[in-house]
Amino acid sequence: MTNSNKRIWILDILMIPAGVIAFFPFYLIIINTFKTMQDAAKKPMAFPSKWIFSNYVQVFEETSILRSFGNSLTITFFSVSLIVIIGAMGAYPVVFNANRLTRFAMLYLLAGFMIPFQATLIPLFQLMSGLQLVDKIYGLIILYMSGSVFVFFLMMGYMKTIPKELSEAAVIDGCNVWGIFWRIIFPLLKPITITSVIFQTMWIWNDFLAPMLFLNSSSKSTLVLEIYKAKGEFTVNWPMFMTLTIITLVPIFIFFIVMQKHIVRGIAAGAVKG
Amino acid sequence: MTKFVRQLQFQLFLLPILAIYSLFTIYPLIKSFFLSFTNFDGYSKVYDFVGMKNYVRIFADDAIISAISYTLFFTFSKALLVTVLAIPLAMILDQKFFTKNLLRAIFFFPSIPSGLLLAYIWGFILAPIGSGVLNTILRELFNIGPQPWLADPLLAKLSTIVVATWAITGWHAVLYLAFLQSIPKDYYEAASIDGANRFQQIRFITLPLLAPAMTISVMLLLTGGLKVFEIPFALTKGGPGYETYSITQVIVLRGISETQYGLASAMSIIFFLIVLAIAVFQVTVMQRREQSMQ
Repeated sequence: MTNSNKRIWILDILMIPAGVIAFFPFYLIIINTFKTMQDAAKKPMAFPSKWIFSNYVQVFEETSILRSFGNSLTITFFSVSLIVIIGAMGAYPVVFNANRLTRFAMLYLLAGFMIPFQATLIPLFQLMSGLQLVDKIYGLIILYMSGSVFVFFLMMGYMKTIPKELSEAAVIDGCNVWGIFWRIIFPLLKPITITSVIFQTMWIWNDFLAPMLFLNSSSKSTLVLEIYKAKGEFTVNWPMFMTLTIITLVPIFIFFIVMQKHIVRGIAAGAVKG
Repeated sequence: MTKFVRQLQFQLFLLPILAIYSLFTIYPLIKSFFLSFTNFDGYSKVYDFVGMKNYVRIFADDAIISAISYTLFFTFSKALLVTVLAIPLAMILDQKFFTKNLLRAIFFFPSIPSGLLLAYIWGFILAPIGSGVLNTILRELFNIGPQPWLADPLLAKLSTIVVATWAITGWHAVLYLAFLQSIPKDYYEAASIDGANRFQQIRFITLPLLAPAMTISVMLLLTGGLKVFEIPFALTKGGPGYETYSITQVIVLRGISETQYGLASAMSIIFFLIVLAIAVFQVTVMQRREQSMQ
């Protein structure tokens, strides 16, 4: 017993310094949001010589952070919902009505699994202009829907564990294909839907490349774009920029705290099955 | 309801995903391939087939050569570093100690925010001027003069790799942790009865059973690494010169900014082939390794 207790303390003592180093960047930005420019430049690591809160007021006054937050929320919400719905819909006939046609569709989707977004960038840029989807929030949402291929494979794997008898029983009860999917199958997909929603949300919320290329006007900026633009505007005013960063990290941190268990479970499930 | 109607209803479910995927993934890929053999400039309606000319030009383009070599260097260094750090980290986090949950959260959290934001934070730490945070620490602790962390070619490359490793190691540790926790405890008990010490247990039980996790983790690291863009872009803007240009950034530069569609498309196709080749190679090699270890 004493032996195992000692072991516990050794690991704490060993790992806390590593944790401090890993956390240091976050400490640094938090502490500097409460400083004046001069104070931050002179002693970036120390506590503020005088705590000020004006940076927070200023960020809300000088940047359109709330509008960008709204844009990010709109884009993420609609993209993720559509991705999950069309991904699940696509997997349904492949699992519950397997035939030569659905098998071909599955292989066709599988072929695209390795295609990186970057390899399609140039024609995509032309295509988006041609369809007049550039600088439109809904344009970006439509573009993101191609993320449904990933969800399709997650859903397919999960659907295979649902007993076929369930949908057969529903057919006998007079339910049509549409009704079976929405009333019986889709509700059963809840665990994998949560996993899909989390990973797609993290991707779209954090994406920089697509908004940078396809959203030009500042009224349509996402949060990540807002940070990119602010970096140019506040090159010398570090405390302001760090305050903006901290404010954008708050919703991400809440997401992390609420979803941590689900994220870990998602990684574990994907890894163990994969 | 006739069988035919039912079949039709079923097929309709596939329609949205097939339409989106064909329009936004397959069609652009085919068009990339097509454009890579032309001198299309984005504006003029008339353009010619130039054969392999764009592919030849890639190897004479300093920015592109630099981007390919940086991206490969970044990808493999990061994959190696993360793997070497994440496995021991996962083993430690699998033990019982007081600050375990807190530390797990601290290591894991950096994988949640956007890479752009994280890299900007590190930009303050690595600022090459004397008032940069790391330079201040070095001066006060070791009396070392300011180092050009983001301005020297080699230091800039290493800095981007360190930041990327910091950001993603916790995520991969969680992946390994999931596998560690699925190893039955009686394996270790049996081994210790047979007289195996802790080191032998790790060598002959833990590591072989982690092999499948390693296949997945390394594949994610390699495919993710090749697509790198935000971290070097935010830290160095690709500089100094083209030293930390990623493949993605060079495609955007040559294709979108300079409208050299043919050249950038050829680069896109080369990029796709690199991703495909590394993924196929890695999975075959590592699966063979998994089999030989078990």
